[in-house]
Amino acid sequence: MHELSIAAALLAQVEDLAKANGLKRVQVVRVQVGARRQVVAESLAMAFEAVGLGTCAEGARLEQSEVAMQARCRGCGTDYAPSLRDFRCPACRQAAAEITAGNDITISSLTGDTED
Amino acid sequence: MPNVTVIAKPLLQKNDQIAAANRRLLEAKGLVGINVMSAPGSGKTTLLQKTIACLGPARCAVLVGDLQTTRDADRLAQAGAPVVQINTGRGCHLTAAEVADGLATLDLTGRSFLFIENVGNMVCPAGFALGEHKSVVLMSLPEGDDKVAKYPTLFQCADVVLLSKIDLAAAMEFDESRVREDLAQVNSRAPMLRLSTRSGEGFQAWLDWLAAAISAPK
Repeated sequence: MHELSIAAALLAQVEDLAKANGLKRVQVVRVQVGARRQVVAESLAMAFEAVGLGTCAEGARLEQSEVAMQARCRGCGTDYAPSLRDFRCPACRQAAAEITAGNDITISSLTGDTED
Repeated sequence: MPNVTVIAKPLLQKNDQIAAANRRLLEAKGLVGINVMSAPGSGKTTLLQKTIACLGPARCAVLVGDLQTTRDADRLAQAGAPVVQINTGRGCHLTAAEVADGLATLDLTGRSFLFIENVGNMVCPAGFALGEHKSVVLMSLPEGDDKVAKYPTLFQCADVVLLSKIDLAAAMEFDESRVREDLAQVNSRAPMLRLSTRSGEGFQAWLDWLAAAISAPK
């Protein structure tokens, strides 16, 4: 359900980028979605479609790719890839992970038209 | 005339920026921000009512998020601390901007603790920083002993886990060792404190934890 607020934040950034780059209509938005965010891809696509109505991103396709989680152990400093169910450090077995990747949602690129 | 623009900027940067500003505001006024998260009905509001009574209302301020109603704020206001209810409408978690708006209407002068009672939800709040210094995750005994395994990302971000309503233990089949095993897999740095707001059992350890949180360097 948090997909709606993510979609709204995504749209705001898409509108800013489109304006800054002279895009009148946006056709494709490519996003990298961190695994930690637990985003349901279908829900985000649907929410983005809904918030985009009447904007430069109306009808734009949202291409999502997932970014795996990376963590640094607060205990021993080891870098590792935790799973959503098991955050234990492979070196010292503490579960004291500081998430270093897979926590953000990033637009990687937009494709659009510079003319109506 | 297609055109491609490539950029790389975290989408939630704006939320994180506002969260950082909230944190600075709290620090400038000498407060510690405590984000309280749990499922609906785990006892967040009751915990805060009792906590405010123990700490003294003059030391506390509260922001409380719900989709609808001011019922939680009404309950918390009875404890005597200033309270702002944030109705998120459709939002299933608080955002840093909502907290910033709430902070603007609270008189924080001379207070030590800002409690932020998040919307009851075990998935969405974990992803949105609000400006807190500490995250508290509450689970009540009647919810069952599989909550940590089912919602690991929420427990992973906790600085302390509270097991509430332990006065109901006799009526429940609740395997606490299972909870501790699951917690060891997702978060071994957060202590798990058992407490009952009704009997008062375990409450002092929670107050001690809060006292340590306010004296810790931020």
